[in-house]
Amino acid sequence: MGATSLSAEQQASEITGNNLANVNNPTYSREQLVMQSALPVDTPIGQEGTGVDASSIQQFRDAYVDSQVVSQTSVTSSYTAQQSTLQNAEIYLDEQLQAGSATDSTTNSPNGLSANISNLFNQFSGLTTSNTQAAAGTTIADAQNLAKQFNQVSASLSNIQGNTNQSVQTGVAAANQDLATIAGLNQQIAVATASGGTADALVDQRQTTLQNLASYVNFSSSTESNGSVDVSIGGVSMVAGVTTPDQLQTFTNSSGNLMVQAQNAGTPLTITGGSIGGNITARDGALATLQSGLDAVASNLITQVNTVYNASTGENFFTGADASDIAVNSSVGASDLNTAVSNDGSLASNLANLATTPISSLKNQTLQASYDSTVSGLGDSIDIATGQLNSNQTVAQMLSNQQSSVSGVNTDEEMTNLIEFQKAYEASAELISTVSNMLETVIDMAYES
Amino acid sequence: MRVSSLMFSQNYLPQLNQLEQSQNQLQGEASSGLSLTQPEDNPAMMDQVLSLQSQSSANAQYQKNITQLQSAAAVAANPINQIQSLVSQASQIALSAGGANGGSADLSADADTVEGYVKSILQFANSTDGSGNYIFGGSNTTTPPFAATYDSSGNITAVTYQGNTNVQSGQIAPNVSLTTQIPGANTTGSGPQGLLVDSGSGVDVFSDLISFQQKLASGNTASLTSTDATKLEADDNHLIGQISANSVVQSTLESASTNNTNVGSTLSSQISTDTGADLATTLSKLTQTQTAYQAALESGVLVMNLSILQYIG
Repeated sequence: MGATSLSAEQQASEITGNNLANVNNPTYSREQLVMQSALPVDTPIGQEGTGVDASSIQQFRDAYVDSQVVSQTSVTSSYTAQQSTLQNAEIYLDEQLQAGSATDSTTNSPNGLSANISNLFNQFSGLTTSNTQAAAGTTIADAQNLAKQFNQVSASLSNIQGNTNQSVQTGVAAANQDLATIAGLNQQIAVATASGGTADALVDQRQTTLQNLASYVNFSSSTESNGSVDVSIGGVSMVAGVTTPDQLQTFTNSSGNLMVQAQNAGTPLTITGGSIGGNITARDGALATLQSGLDAVASNLITQVNTVYNASTGENFFTGADASDIAVNSSVGASDLNTAVSNDGSLASNLANLATTPISSLKNQTLQASYDSTVSGLGDSIDIATGQLNSNQTVAQMLSNQQSSVSGVNTDEEMTNLIEFQKAYEASAELISTVSNMLETVIDMAYES
Repeated sequence: MRVSSLMFSQNYLPQLNQLEQSQNQLQGEASSGLSLTQPEDNPAMMDQVLSLQSQSSANAQYQKNITQLQSAAAVAANPINQIQSLVSQASQIALSAGGANGGSADLSADADTVEGYVKSILQFANSTDGSGNYIFGGSNTTTPPFAATYDSSGNITAVTYQGNTNVQSGQIAPNVSLTTQIPGANTTGSGPQGLLVDSGSGVDVFSDLISFQQKLASGNTASLTSTDATKLEADDNHLIGQISANSVVQSTLESASTNNTNVGSTLSSQISTDTGADLATTLSKLTQTQTAYQAALESGVLVMNLSILQYIG
């Protein structure tokens, strides 16, 4: 009895020690030794207990909370990716307001396209009263600057698009790695539990891997009777017990962007969660809208200015089709513009009046207003993503607290348990010592007689 | 609810981060004086502010245009006034010479006087602005608008116009333009009136004066009153009309400038209202946030230092 008790208390202490060692391990689920009374023996005066047995090691997990944490990880990761991608685009748009100087209280965003579009039309307006070669030269220079800025912003947005594609590629590779890891852990867990043992550390590892997978992609999972976790993405089975029937693969769609499909089934998958889902949503949503808005403004600027300029001179002022390639016609120089304005008294006015002309292909907005609403549209998208991220992070934190409440280690609790086990161990040792003394007494009595 | 040891730091660190973010944001507001700096801060307001900014910069450009036009109108006013004065005097001479019984000496002196007027008017017609640009040549500002032909005695026998009728209208407001330019001559019958020659109204100052001068020089007083005086009077009335038009333009520009200044002030004020941070409120919030941050730090350290381990001997 004493020996079994010593063994049980020692094992309990070891488990407590393991808990304490993992107090700062967020992926660890605390364990506890389950003790039960040993089988009693029958005596003439009734059943007599035979001590304590260590029956099992219990791991504290809540499967429902675990699954909720995984789902929430997917949602939060998606909004994080969206916010990051769109804030990146906001930086390159460079519509940052700055306070005016000491002598000018007007707030402005001097570096953005908005200011430069306005500037070009102001230059045209200036030519109506001051048509000199120098003024024409400044106008040409400002037009070139505007065109270059359109090119740069367009190229930056294309870069961001490329980066999101790269992120999708990287995410798919990492997700496939996790899927393989989950299948491998399923096998190890199955082997460990088949012989009646436990695989708590492996279960922790698998839960961590599932959460990691959720950070890349949304999926559904189910637990089999043997403890294996099956995973399917977009309805396609990716992990079935110890096998991986399929895995993720990227493909290029008609727009030149990377999408995700099941490799073996060849089925395109709609990914809405995780960083993969977030990147795709941002890329094909707000980012695409921003690019098309920018292109629409540039395209209409080219068309409108050229229509007026060509009607007067027979030449185009701008070349190109959209934001990526808009440029000032190389054959239009300062003297050409100066001469054109001199020869046609209404040319400069007509060009300047384009600033306030509603354009039907821009929903009857002016060029300036169309661009400004494109900028605010991006701001809206970021605002929404940030709001969703903040609220989902709060939910994630609450779920994490719930999970930690069940599975987390409390130092005070473990130290208290350790002291109890230590006292029990001492008591058991004392029992053994007492029984030993009693036996010695009996033996001594036998010798004396 | 059971509390794990890790739960505290998992909640504490995001809270500290949140407080630090708020501090940074409020500090940025206080130092820049702006409550709105990026589109995501307030998308709808950003749209409005960008629109106001473009209106403000356009308004500033209109003001520059108005200033240029005011200068051009003022520069043109003086020679027009001078020309009108000379034509008026010539008209008086025509009336008095036509009714005079003066002998050839008076007519000869009058002929010399009128010749002087023609040459002076030619000079005024070829006036330039401060940059050396001819102001009455239409869009041709580099060539003298009028060129004279002289006889052997040095008298002007003909004056031809070398400019064109292209005039530039300056933008003073959205879709509002105004011109201060007057071509020296317009013989097309349409477009802007010519200052000294205008086929639409039948005015030809140089031709009328030269014809009058030649009659005086030759002692021919026939129809001086009925023809020359009448023509010169019509020329004079035409020039008075030009003076009046110039005054109207200057007055219009003055009103436009005042209006433009008011619009500019309003736009500036609106932009400030939309983007400016209420410093009193911002600083108050910043102080509160800093206090909360300090309290979080102190309380966090207190809690983290407490443990049963301290009491186990």
